Amino acid sequence: MNGLALRLGSTATVRGRKSRELLLLTGFLVVIWTVTGILSPRFLTPQNLSDILVQAAPLGFVVIGQMLVIVMRGLDLSVASVMATAAVLSTSTFDNTGGVFVVGILLGAGVGAVNGYLVAYRKVTPFLATLATMIILQGIRFAYTGGAPGGSLPDAFRFLATGRIAGIPVSLMILAVVAFAAHWMLERSVLGRQFMLYGDNPAAARMTGLPVNRLVVLAFVISGVMAALGGLFLVGYVGIVDNWTGRGYELDSIAAAVIGGASLRGGKGSVLGALLAALILVSLFNIVVIVGLSIEFQMVIKGVLILLAAGVYLRSSRA
Amino acid sequence: MSDFARAIRFQPVHLVIVGLILTVFVVGAVHSERFATLTNVSNIQDQLVVLALVALAQTVVILSGGIDLSFAGMLGLLTVLFASVAGGDPAVFAAAVVGILTLGALLGAINGGLIAFTGIHPLIVTLATSSIMAGVALLHSNQPSGSVALFFEDLVYARLFGFVPYGTIYVLAAYFVIGFMLWRTQFGTRIYAVGDDERAAAISGVPVRLTKLMVYSLSGLIAAMAAIYMVGRFGVGDPRAGVGFDLRSITPVIVGGTILAGGRGGVLGTLLAVILLILLRNVLNFLNVSSFYLWIVEGLIVIVAVSLFAARASK
Repeated sequence: MNGLALRLGSTATVRGRKSRELLLLTGFLVVIWTVTGILSPRFLTPQNLSDILVQAAPLGFVVIGQMLVIVMRGLDLSVASVMATAAVLSTSTFDNTGGVFVVGILLGAGVGAVNGYLVAYRKVTPFLATLATMIILQGIRFAYTGGAPGGSLPDAFRFLATGRIAGIPVSLMILAVVAFAAHWMLERSVLGRQFMLYGDNPAAARMTGLPVNRLVVLAFVISGVMAALGGLFLVGYVGIVDNWTGRGYELDSIAAAVIGGASLRGGKGSVLGALLAALILVSLFNIVVIVGLSIEFQMVIKGVLILLAAGVYLRSSRA
Repeated sequence: MSDFARAIRFQPVHLVIVGLILTVFVVGAVHSERFATLTNVSNIQDQLVVLALVALAQTVVILSGGIDLSFAGMLGLLTVLFASVAGGDPAVFAAAVVGILTLGALLGAINGGLIAFTGIHPLIVTLATSSIMAGVALLHSNQPSGSVALFFEDLVYARLFGFVPYGTIYVLAAYFVIGFMLWRTQFGTRIYAVGDDERAAAISGVPVRLTKLMVYSLSGLIAAMAAIYMVGRFGVGDPRAGVGFDLRSITPVIVGGTILAGGRGGVLGTLLAVILLILLRNVLNFLNVSSFYLWIVEGLIVIVAVSLFAARASK
């Protein structure tokens, strides 16, 4: 009973800390938007803001999965490779919209299952398991395309990524639905509790009789599927399929998850935080361009922000 | 464990890798008469210098239970700065070398300091600093620039006895010194202790934070050695020189039998694994197999190696 009371007590403080973090992130976003708005009148226009949101959508998909894996004490380095492979495969195999989604998502789920199997059943470190699948997938992709991907993007798919219904970007509507489902799953469902418990204390989760191995596999499968979705929306947005589609997203998604409050030590993370962080990152990239700084500043800012966020959260979780 | 075995941290996996190296070599020699020539053997050595050095740095860090993902940015920054400071002038060459080695150690110390004193995960810290350093490198120079004294380029391209590039000696010297350090010095023992069990190490009086600081500093120093060699090899400093080396540096360490959790492994396995991976790439080229397939092979090797070690560790 004591243990239960302790857990309930800590849940309350976790809630408090989480809302503080969300407040902090929102505040930060408002500040950088306002400051840039004062510096450049072109920034705070509805057009530019909705551009930023649409640009952030692919990272938004990817970071949801990445965050979940990080909650489970893991890490998914294969997301960028999944993004590119899903994009390449689906655009070259099918010319109809349904096919595009099915092939890409199946691939993501398959890679996630392999990652999860290696981690849960073969006891391979998530870092190495996903590093290996990343490289293998890269080899398969290049061998399959012979170095130069072909195929074309179906118009309907372009529409999903760049189109608008009643002025609202379709990609954002889909992301909103997915994000809401993920948020509900993690915060309100039994499954989400199980994910959190495992991340917090794997040994306890095992002793409670949770199917821990299956939970780990499921987390990686979700991450693979989200990465595939992110890849499909990214090529849909860019309009060109490339063997390196999504390059850098593995690190950007980890950065966004961490800035959004996830801890590599597990048991901590939220969908809202992750999405806000993705939006902050993409906003900063946009701001660097708008303010006329050279584009390399993006990398410097990203690094500083990661360190700041990680430092702040560490402090707040100790206090 | 005998002193010698401890020095090189001999493991059965080393024999396996040596066997694989010989197999790959024989396959190459059988398939192409140009493979087992002095020219190609020296080419292979040229190709392995940079990977061998960054993998050495990564080995030390992983032994201490950490990870260093900052090579992507650090190599770019250090090569660009070295090439712009050294220029073509032999007179400033020595000063530039000392300067860049110091800078490498300092940048590494920043990584180590952040990791040791803030408690932020090494992966996050080095990821962030890598991004910052890559940005600064590109801000300094958007494209390959600078130069280096001609005598240094000549030195890098020269071969002892016709088939041993000075790069090989550079690498062997670095591995010898680091191996000796891990084997014979108190610092080396502390690295293993911290990697094995940080809390236990702290209780038995090991200055854990200082050890971590020095480990990352050493990693930066070795990265600077790689950067200097790269500039000699290419004749310029390339801000993108480090791209990919963050993750590439890890594969040989793992294949060589060092455990990612820290505390177990050594430099000999890493060196053997580097030779195997570079040789494999070279042979596949001779066999006209696209390097795309090499990625698949590399990934499979990692999975096999890791699940093998994981299965053994759990026993």
